[in-house]
Amino acid sequence: MILNYSQPLEVTNLTSWLDAALRSSLPEFWVLLIEFVLVGVAFLAAYAVIALILIYAERKITAFFQARFGPNRVGKWGLLQSVADMVKILLKEIVKINRSDRFLFFAAPFFMIVASMATFGAIAFGKGLHAIDFNIGVLYVTAVSSLGIIGVLLAGWSSNNKYSMIGAMRSGAQFVSYELSAGFALMTIVVLAGTMQFSTMIEGQRYCWNLFNGHISSLIAFIIYLISGHAETNRGPFDLPEAESELTAGYHTEYSGLQFGFYYLAEYLNMFIIASIATAVFLGGYMPIQVKGWVAFNGIMEYIPSYIWFFGKTAVLIFLSLWVRWSFPRLRIDQLLNLEWKYLLPINLVNIVLMVILVLSGLTLTDLLPGWF
Amino acid sequence: MSSVSKYFSGLFTGIKSLLFGMSVTWKELWTKKVTRQYPENRDTLVISDRWRSELTMPHDENNEHACTACGICEMNCPNGTIKVISQMIETEDGKKKKILDKYQWDLGMCTFCNLCVLTCPSDAIKFENTFENAVFNREKLKQQLNHEGSKLRDKKKEPLAPKAE
Amino acid sequence: MENIKKLILNTVKDAVIEEKQKLTVTVDYTKLHLLAKTLRDNAELPFDTLVFLTGMDRGEELGVNYLLCSSKDLSKEIVLKTGTTDRENPLLYSVTDLFETANYNEREVFALFGIRFINNPDMRKFFLNGDWNGFPFRKDYDANPELNPLNLESKDIIDIAPRIMEIDGKLVESTVNIFEEDDYIINIGPQHPSTHGVMHFRTSLDGEIVKKIDVHSGYIHRGIEKLSETLTYPQILHFTDRLDYLSANINRHGLCMAVEKAAEIEVPERAQYIRTIMDELNRMDSHLLAWACQTNDLGATTAFIYGMREREIILDIFEKTCGGRLIINQNVVGGVMFDIYDDFQKDVKSFIIYMCDKLKEYDRFFSHNVIALGRMIGIGNLSKEDAINYAVTGPAGRGSGWSCDIRKHIPYALYDKVEFNEVIRTEGDSYARYLNRLDEIEQSLHIIEQLIDNIPEGDICAKTKAIIRLPEGEFYSRVEACRGEFGVFIESRGDKFPYRLKFRSPSMALVSAMPLICKNEKISDFIGIGGSMDYVIPDIDR
Repeated sequence: MILNYSQPLEVTNLTSWLDAALRSSLPEFWVLLIEFVLVGVAFLAAYAVIALILIYAERKITAFFQARFGPNRVGKWGLLQSVADMVKILLKEIVKINRSDRFLFFAAPFFMIVASMATFGAIAFGKGLHAIDFNIGVLYVTAVSSLGIIGVLLAGWSSNNKYSMIGAMRSGAQFVSYELSAGFALMTIVVLAGTMQFSTMIEGQRYCWNLFNGHISSLIAFIIYLISGHAETNRGPFDLPEAESELTAGYHTEYSGLQFGFYYLAEYLNMFIIASIATAVFLGGYMPIQVKGWVAFNGIMEYIPSYIWFFGKTAVLIFLSLWVRWSFPRLRIDQLLNLEWKYLLPINLVNIVLMVILVLSGLTLTDLLPGWF
Repeated sequence: MSSVSKYFSGLFTGIKSLLFGMSVTWKELWTKKVTRQYPENRDTLVISDRWRSELTMPHDENNEHACTACGICEMNCPNGTIKVISQMIETEDGKKKKILDKYQWDLGMCTFCNLCVLTCPSDAIKFENTFENAVFNREKLKQQLNHEGSKLRDKKKEPLAPKAE
Repeated sequence: MENIKKLILNTVKDAVIEEKQKLTVTVDYTKLHLLAKTLRDNAELPFDTLVFLTGMDRGEELGVNYLLCSSKDLSKEIVLKTGTTDRENPLLYSVTDLFETANYNEREVFALFGIRFINNPDMRKFFLNGDWNGFPFRKDYDANPELNPLNLESKDIIDIAPRIMEIDGKLVESTVNIFEEDDYIINIGPQHPSTHGVMHFRTSLDGEIVKKIDVHSGYIHRGIEKLSETLTYPQILHFTDRLDYLSANINRHGLCMAVEKAAEIEVPERAQYIRTIMDELNRMDSHLLAWACQTNDLGATTAFIYGMREREIILDIFEKTCGGRLIINQNVVGGVMFDIYDDFQKDVKSFIIYMCDKLKEYDRFFSHNVIALGRMIGIGNLSKEDAINYAVTGPAGRGSGWSCDIRKHIPYALYDKVEFNEVIRTEGDSYARYLNRLDEIEQSLHIIEQLIDNIPEGDICAKTKAIIRLPEGEFYSRVEACRGEFGVFIESRGDKFPYRLKFRSPSMALVSAMPLICKNEKISDFIGIGGSMDYVIPDIDR
């Protein structure tokens, strides 16, 4: 009761009220069914809305980096631009490609969107705003998010276009390589946190984020995760699969209308997913900033709803990703693989060992300064 | 040993160069944007007087121009953009005289090389900086420069518009 | 040059040597190859650069003019002329084995004049489709549109090149396949974001690696040289802006100089100042765009916008001076069309300060970026020998260590009065070309700094006759355009129209070197190298 009173803006209140109301009048089966449907709809809506916001934000921030204004015609400050674009993309004709593998061609975008949707479902948006909370959450996210590559490969293969083919092959090489680094970076933190469940991991970071808890080792893991996560989303400087100055648009060259929209949405959502996993694993997820002993301060921080914390932290990481994207030229395929196999992976392996040593010998911040963290 | 130190120095100079790059974009994020917002800025927009976008034939308040229909501009135009259609009339004292009937100019074919204005002996035409020339079909690009019912100015009068420098 | 004359007569006894604007040697077509080889291998002063290869329809005779110069001293020039009276099946000997740059030029001559070259390995038509009827640049060409109707059907590209070789004194016609049977070929262009225009590279790939490039050009060939034959000299001027539109003013300068030299027109001092300053502004404008496009080709979109932003200021200055931004119509025969405006000096000076600052920013932002370095250093190597052989001039040629700046070798306008360094790097890779451009911007700023305060009063244009007629003869002029040497050749028969006009386009040489330097590079580097060479397509497709 006290918790509810002190956090009036949490969505948990709404969901638990809804759950109670349903249970009071319906049998268990129907309650579950209705809740499933509601959660599904909420996720689909959130998926689209977040993508639209991200597209707008990217275009605006990019423009500011490039000494431009960005979209500013549709709505105030161009706020409705991405909505207008979405409407346009829904109305566009889906072009049929001669001599393409029709079935795979149509199936490919769904792989992409389903993979990113499935990962999206495992994200903890806030306290209680968590659709599925496995005890192997981290593993699940890594596994499911790598399904998207099938969509890319199929798209490249079925389009009957040489540019698409090259793009898809590049994408395959890139994804396989960087998946490894991303996975290892997450493993490093699993060693530190001692759990694979997102909720437990986030709760464990109440006073000390994992980023600080494992100091050197965590920081390295964090940077590596950001780099490889960035690479996994196929965004510049790692956008070789779609390298517009070389391959025109890479694997999705032949797609139009809603199918292209799927790739577009998935790209932005993947950016969000990577940032949100990094938030959960390294930056304490939806946990507000808390300092041991500062009761008043903690109270005020608690008052800010958890989803605001989550989206705030994620936004910072997304901004970082945009900043990097618009500062650097594109890597070449051999440079890309070099970076992974020559730098990231060895560093990562050493880093895991380092983390194990840190944890076992009690050199993490929580162990060193228990009064503070 | 050297290869190991090369590995690490390569890593760190690389990271340093990337951070330098990011510092530049960070600075640019806060600088003034250079986009000019047309058409909002139409009132403040300054187009150079010398900007060539529309050929015109200045007429004075009496609806008189300076074109003698000599056709030099037509001859000098590399693309056949200009058509000077003249007619012969008889003046009061019985002399035959060539006067301008229609001065046609096709904006769609003009390359704005300025040769017509340069070679015109009577400074009858000039380029204006009215740049909003978009129209909905090509026919509208063909313009007649002399006004309806206009006639040649007497030579005694000062020319109305000085030639663009 | 006396030694050279002796050498020529020793090699070919019946050579006709004339002292015209340049030393001109006419030889029989069977002796030309021998003479060119002797001149090229001459140890004392090797004539190893083929500047012009001009097809000619001399009336009775179809022929070719070659302008050779020495790579050590570009001002030492010699013109070779040859021809054949067989108009049905004209055959001349190729000099491709001596000067690689002759390859595309000979193919161009074949397309436009129908002269086939024996021993050229690839005798497809350049610019035109293989099935084009007639040879457009011949004087007796029938331009009836029914002969070559507009075709909307798409045609397959046939990768088979005919050629005619001399084997043991016999002429053998044969064909050769450009690609192997199972090559993975992708078409980069004609519509591709990174070809900087409608260029078509048929590229065969081995994985990511470029095996071979076949260049198809002519998608925007306008026949400017042919059109010029029916226009007066002042009218032709407006075409030059439309060749390499990024060095519009310099091209126009080149043609004006050729006409002025021929008609003996003295250009006023003030006009020379304005011309030089505008040329250098134009050079910076072009190099900024080149920088921007190169970074964009390497994937750094932000840098592209920065480059365009700075370029905009130059364009504003152009707009205020000449009423044009890209096509600026500034030079005319005898001087310039527009005087500078009142605040010109102020604007240019503030631009100089601004630009110096921005050059530092570019340096910080891109020139040392580790990714960019990896994409440029050691990529697209062009050796000095190859640069000379392919006649690659401009920042690209100087990036290979060849001192080829016409402004230094054959000073025109005010370039002998100002101080500037010829930027030369010897690495010959993309990075050398990249840095050369940035350094040349700095040099251009330096040149303008010296001139901007000293513009003398006076006329801006010499009085010329209403109709300019050139005396009979052949006139050459060479200027340093933004991408290399731009040349103009006029053959006049005393008329107000040229009998034959030829532009030497620097971009054509740059593109001809692309298959060489892109071989065995990655496909993404192929794009990056293209950016570093910075060719402009309308310059090739004249």
